[in-house]
Amino acid sequence: MKVMVCLKQVPHQDARLDVNADGTWIQEDNIKFEINSYDTYAVEEALRLKDAGDAEVVVVSIGPDRVTQALRTALGMGADRAIHVNDPVAFEADALGTAKILAAIAKEEGADVILAGLMSDDGNAASVPPMVAELLDMPSATGVLATDYGDASIKVERELEGGAVEIVELPKPCLMAIQTGANQVRYASLKGIMQAKKKPVDVKTVADLGLADSVGAAFNKTSIDKIHVPVKGDTAEILEGSTDEIVSQLVTKVKELGLL
Amino acid sequence: MGTILVVAEIQKGAIREASYELVAAARGAGDHEVNGLVIGSGVGDLGSEFASKGAGKTYVIDDTAAANYNVEIWTKAIKAAAEASGADLVLISNTPTGWDVAPRISAGLDCAFVSDAFKVEAKGSDFAFSRRVFNGKLDAEISTTGKTVATLQPGAMPAYEGSSDGGTEALSVDTSTRAKFIEIKIAESTGVDLTKADIIVSGGRGVGAPEKFPEVIQPLADALGGAMGASRPVVDAGWLDHPYQVGSSGQVVAPKLYIAAGISGAIQHLVGMKASNFIVAINKDPDAPIFEVANVGIVADLFDIVPALTDAIKAAKG
Repeated sequence: MKVMVCLKQVPHQDARLDVNADGTWIQEDNIKFEINSYDTYAVEEALRLKDAGDAEVVVVSIGPDRVTQALRTALGMGADRAIHVNDPVAFEADALGTAKILAAIAKEEGADVILAGLMSDDGNAASVPPMVAELLDMPSATGVLATDYGDASIKVERELEGGAVEIVELPKPCLMAIQTGANQVRYASLKGIMQAKKKPVDVKTVADLGLADSVGAAFNKTSIDKIHVPVKGDTAEILEGSTDEIVSQLVTKVKELGLL
Repeated sequence: MGTILVVAEIQKGAIREASYELVAAARGAGDHEVNGLVIGSGVGDLGSEFASKGAGKTYVIDDTAAANYNVEIWTKAIKAAAEASGADLVLISNTPTGWDVAPRISAGLDCAFVSDAFKVEAKGSDFAFSRRVFNGKLDAEISTTGKTVATLQPGAMPAYEGSSDGGTEALSVDTSTRAKFIEIKIAESTGVDLTKADIIVSGGRGVGAPEKFPEVIQPLADALGGAMGASRPVVDAGWLDHPYQVGSSGQVVAPKLYIAAGISGAIQHLVGMKASNFIVAINKDPDAPIFEVANVGIVADLFDIVPALTDAIKAAKG
């Protein structure tokens, strides 16, 4: 069985976010990047499948040279191979363009199971994984918290609201977008990191995938015009002073609320 | 003048409030005809209700196979209604149903997609959207070209309260599916019921380590006679169990006093606590989104403030 994991490298959750010069994205120079938190759970899900049987795990990412580090980390965790789409045409694609790239790779690979994180920590759009499934005409489930694998199908637990879950059965091939907390993500071991250096990373371009006439900025239907710090509404009254002064103001507030 | 299709979602036998928020968004986004879509089993009356309460002409897919949500049926149904109505814009709520199906519609129609918008405006013959990115830290202004599918953040705008003229039109789609619905499981009660607490002290990723919850957060909750809660990253990391989680996928609470310590304020957490009567936020990052919903904010290390506050509350109680 072949398992493909879609993986995105995003700014570190604690990175300083400054808007770039043309105001359309953040300043990416000199900040740390990491594997999107949701995607780490997708990698772990794939590795558990591999641990349980004979799955081959292929991790796929789109992005500049820095993405190599994210792919090496996933290989160090135990993935078998990596595909790196390192092409500025791809970096400029909107979500649907991105999905077309990933769908083309999944088709080439003949993936039986496609895994991705529910959303990314930068765009927060949760859009690419279901698009990939639609382009490949396969069933999908998002917000996946648990899985139970049968020979031909997978019982999937999807997160709904208020602690409820939906159980749905998907025949393979299928796509699952994994929710955070679905498993305990392993770390890459030292041995794993050493072995990862010998594992293959294929570098591809949009043209290699036959998508030069359908993916890239010229084909985008969705664009970011501007990115900015949210316009503050009624923001909090900020308490100032020493710790003692702040605490005494808080105690007064609690008393005013009639809770002391 | 084009057409906006609003997709209703049914919860507990009724059309969700969020669906009427979509109607309000559609009616506010320029001069368009609004059409509705209701999908389910035995939903004829709900179709008529949607048609008369703002959605206008409403397509109804009423099929026993659609009694429960199924991604393939919904994909086919929305695509069919989008085509039947000639919709320029399809609006869907950003709920577990919405985020499961909406991107598929965009890929299926090969059209623009915007997710989790909190504002929609007409921009010439196209549309412009505002949405949060980077877990609430920044906003993005998005524009789309041509046919567009968008999901809207529930609660971002008031629900439509007017009425509309419009009948229903039955649509049928192929309801054979590969994905099979098995069941919905409701979380079992575990004794931690935050919804009944008058005071909740919640900790987030900023608490830093699991042992700090019993050492720092719980003592303040105890001193105040309240309960302890947590944000999602804490539960995902296994530091506390799911029943402690406050947010859209955990418990939705509205206590008299909510203290958020080391919680940045991702949207999914804010949805679960912003209706609280009084909110105190303690966070080192002055730009943390939590300060936008808080009444009182403290830009400081929670480990300086929370233990001192615990002592002061104990002293005040005598």
